[in-house]
Amino acid sequence: MTDFLLTQIINYGAPILGAIVFIGAMGAPFPGTLIVIAAGAFSKQGILPWATTGLIALMCVVLGDSLSYGMGYYARERILRRFQNSKRWAQAESTFYRWGGMSVFWTRFLITGIAVPVNLIAGTSDFRFRRFILYDLIGECIWIFGYGGLGYLFGTQWEVVSNFLGNVSGLALGLLFLVVGIMLAIRWLRASQLKTNP
Amino acid sequence: MTPSRQRLLVIALIMIGLAFVVFFGVRFVYAFREFNGHRPRHFSLPQSEPAETDVTLIRDWMTIGYLSHAYQLPPNLLYEALNIPPRGNEHKSLKQLNKKYYPEAPGIVVEKVKAAILADQPPQSPLAPDTAVPPATAVPPVTP
Repeated sequence: MTDFLLTQIINYGAPILGAIVFIGAMGAPFPGTLIVIAAGAFSKQGILPWATTGLIALMCVVLGDSLSYGMGYYARERILRRFQNSKRWAQAESTFYRWGGMSVFWTRFLITGIAVPVNLIAGTSDFRFRRFILYDLIGECIWIFGYGGLGYLFGTQWEVVSNFLGNVSGLALGLLFLVVGIMLAIRWLRASQLKTNP
Repeated sequence: MTPSRQRLLVIALIMIGLAFVVFFGVRFVYAFREFNGHRPRHFSLPQSEPAETDVTLIRDWMTIGYLSHAYQLPPNLLYEALNIPPRGNEHKSLKQLNKKYYPEAPGIVVEKVKAAILADQPPQSPLAPDTAVPPATAVPPVTP
């Protein structure tokens, strides 16, 4: 799949890159980060014009994110019908409202593996679209121009950057799981201690 | 959520997190070493890269057009080396060309392309010495 996408980018340029990041933002399991870094390297080689390519990719990925937010937004009613009276849903919604901006921001470029679920949760919860788009735009700018810039900087050695950043992303996701798991464990232990010693 | 399911979720999160941290942590260390070794010394913004010379960077997703651009050589030279017509093959990757023209020999197209590029490159000039070469004639001692 990756090889096929890379061949299409060198053949057809920025529109294909835009289509890939757009579909990726909607949930397709494309290697978006690798593609963006490679596109940066292709820009340095003169295969792609870097400014136009960057802008097209940015527009497409933000559009894809907005659509997946929209999917969550339109699924909201169905979810609310089921969980409306749930205390846990209200708690989850307020937690997302508090941390949602940072979640949207960091999942655009660092923990990209959970970007689509975050878009859906943002749409489903009471997270405002204007706030979503602001954090989304800042995060995606870092992804497209920062990661693409690294590809540009490393040129034909872009695979080294891609390998490095792929591992950074996996490590960040692991740390996130670990921190959330430990926080939940502490909360759960405290709650069970309160039950035994009220 | 029942307490037993809650406990299961917490344990699963911690276990998955630990597995990810160990797996990607080890890979991260190796990737960082490689990354550090290839890091450019300074940032420059040239209009385009000079011709690539390293044929180990050739991958089978690349096309003849891309290679001719990156290694700055005429595409016909590569088509001739592969003994295939340019027409209809402009957008095909080396892998696709291999499948179409040499199905019995996987990887031969990449090898042929590498050989053609190497054959086209000018012979490498002898490496410059790392340290300054002392002058052939002895420098007279400084007299006060």
